[in-house]
Amino acid sequence: MSDIIAVKDLIEVYSDGTKAVDTISFTVQDGEFFGFLGPNGAGKSTTIKILTTLLKKTSGIATVAGFDVDKEAKEIRKIIGVQSQETTVDGDLTGRENLMLQGHFQQMSGEKLKNRVNELLRLVELEASADKRARNYSGGMKKRLDLASALIHEPKLLFLDEPTTGLDPQTRATIWAYLQRLNREEGKTIFLTTQYLEEADKLCKRLAIIDFGKIVSSGTPAELKREVGADSIRVALENCERDKAHAKELILSMTGVSEVLESNEECLNVYAKDGGILVADIVRALDSVDIRLTSVTFSSPSLDDVFLKHTGRRIREEELVKAPSAMFGGRR
Amino acid sequence: MTLASDTWHVFVRYLQKLVRNPILLFFSLFQPIIFLVLFTQLLTNLSNFPGILPAGVSYLEFATAGILLQNAFGSALQSGNSIVFDIDSGFLQKMLVTQVSRPAILLGRLTSDAFRVVVQSAIILALAYVLGAFVTTGPVGILLIFFTIAFFGLAWSGISLALGMKTRSSETVFAIGGFLTFPLLFLSPALFPISFLPDWVQNVSMFNPISYAINAIRTLMITGFDWTVILPAWGVIALVAILTLGATLIQFRKVVS
Repeated sequence: MSDIIAVKDLIEVYSDGTKAVDTISFTVQDGEFFGFLGPNGAGKSTTIKILTTLLKKTSGIATVAGFDVDKEAKEIRKIIGVQSQETTVDGDLTGRENLMLQGHFQQMSGEKLKNRVNELLRLVELEASADKRARNYSGGMKKRLDLASALIHEPKLLFLDEPTTGLDPQTRATIWAYLQRLNREEGKTIFLTTQYLEEADKLCKRLAIIDFGKIVSSGTPAELKREVGADSIRVALENCERDKAHAKELILSMTGVSEVLESNEECLNVYAKDGGILVADIVRALDSVDIRLTSVTFSSPSLDDVFLKHTGRRIREEELVKAPSAMFGGRR
Repeated sequence: MTLASDTWHVFVRYLQKLVRNPILLFFSLFQPIIFLVLFTQLLTNLSNFPGILPAGVSYLEFATAGILLQNAFGSALQSGNSIVFDIDSGFLQKMLVTQVSRPAILLGRLTSDAFRVVVQSAIILALAYVLGAFVTTGPVGILLIFFTIAFFGLAWSGISLALGMKTRSSETVFAIGGFLTFPLLFLSPALFPISFLPDWVQNVSMFNPISYAINAIRTLMITGFDWTVILPAWGVIALVAILTLGATLIQFRKVVS
């Protein structure tokens, strides 16, 4: 009963035959901070569009606060706030006017709206620029204004589609702080999508990792990392092609090593319990057979390792290849 | 009533955008003003040849109706760009996830278009007045002129709105606008008396929907309340409106649903 979002076997096939969302099921509980982590084009925005009544699903069940997304769209719109991936403020209007307009669209008016606008301008620290045209705002200011307009009618459920993509680290940290406050202090349920591991790790209490329209794994960040189970050691060889088979064989024979995967970036990814101790052993073993190393990196499991384990790729590779603008066309 | 108040807020938004881009408003008025001030000068001697213009009517007085319509037509055919822009920027989506009444999104746009063309027409009429062209039917006639132009503007906005939503390309909207404007204007009595035009143009202009609106406004400007001209014009505009706004509604449903 406390599921505010319930999705079962959701499928979305675009008219060109692309299966953007492929039979996904998940639930989000009231008050939870839930995230979709995945690369561009994984189906994150499509899922949000279905849940926010912008896009009709092909099949499956999707409810928000118990309301069916197709049949009870009006009810859903009353209780959700949405920040889309593209920043959408009207540059010809001032920040305050943007918020007032959004409030009117949400059927608010009078003193109540004015007070709410002032409150939000304070929250996102835009009071000083409130009466300047939004056209002149920086990217971070526009994002903050956009976030404020999603909050205008005090929605209990917030959908944030990549709220920090393209922002500098400082602005990102500021937005994170707002979001944590909204979740903790105001009890808002937040559904967030991101392609940033750090963001998912830091903010989300529970998350689903999504790739090519499918949920590949889900749980709390800690659970997911435990699933990988081991520390990872990334071993880069000077002549990867020639030496990797030999190196792999050597490393696999060591005690504690659970898995060695080949990767394009670092040549070999070694997974092991207590990996720290193994670093020196690996260096010594490879050196003794004249395999030259260029670097060895040790890390505790990250969400990227979880992603790698399930998909064979790192999230970052995708991020660099596809520009965010490639998503803009995929509206419908 | 949420439809009324939502329409009002959408209307106000477009108006604010218009007022804050005065340069755009100025440039859109530039062409009609040039026609009013310069083009009418070129043909001012037309009144020296009897039988071309109605007796006692200057070319300026004659041409004002055509220039008003030319402006309304050009303005209406660019209306779709704003929708394309709102779709591209994501602003339309942002509206659609709110509780805003769906028809209000379209109605607010259309009413702001109508308002804009009335303001432009008032400026043109005021300038024409300064130059020496009066509306013989007085204030009531002026109101009827505004009504006719607003109605005409709405009807033709429909084409560019429907196209804008269908193609999602402002280039296409611009191109279609440019493609339609001059043939339709030249094949109408916009700038010359119908009797002055070759037979084939006279015949074609009978089937040109904008001829009727031009005649109605011209009648109100220089003849009087001749309802045998005004009512058919409204009828033709209504016919165009049903077609274009019908198409707009169909496209809008596709965008919204």
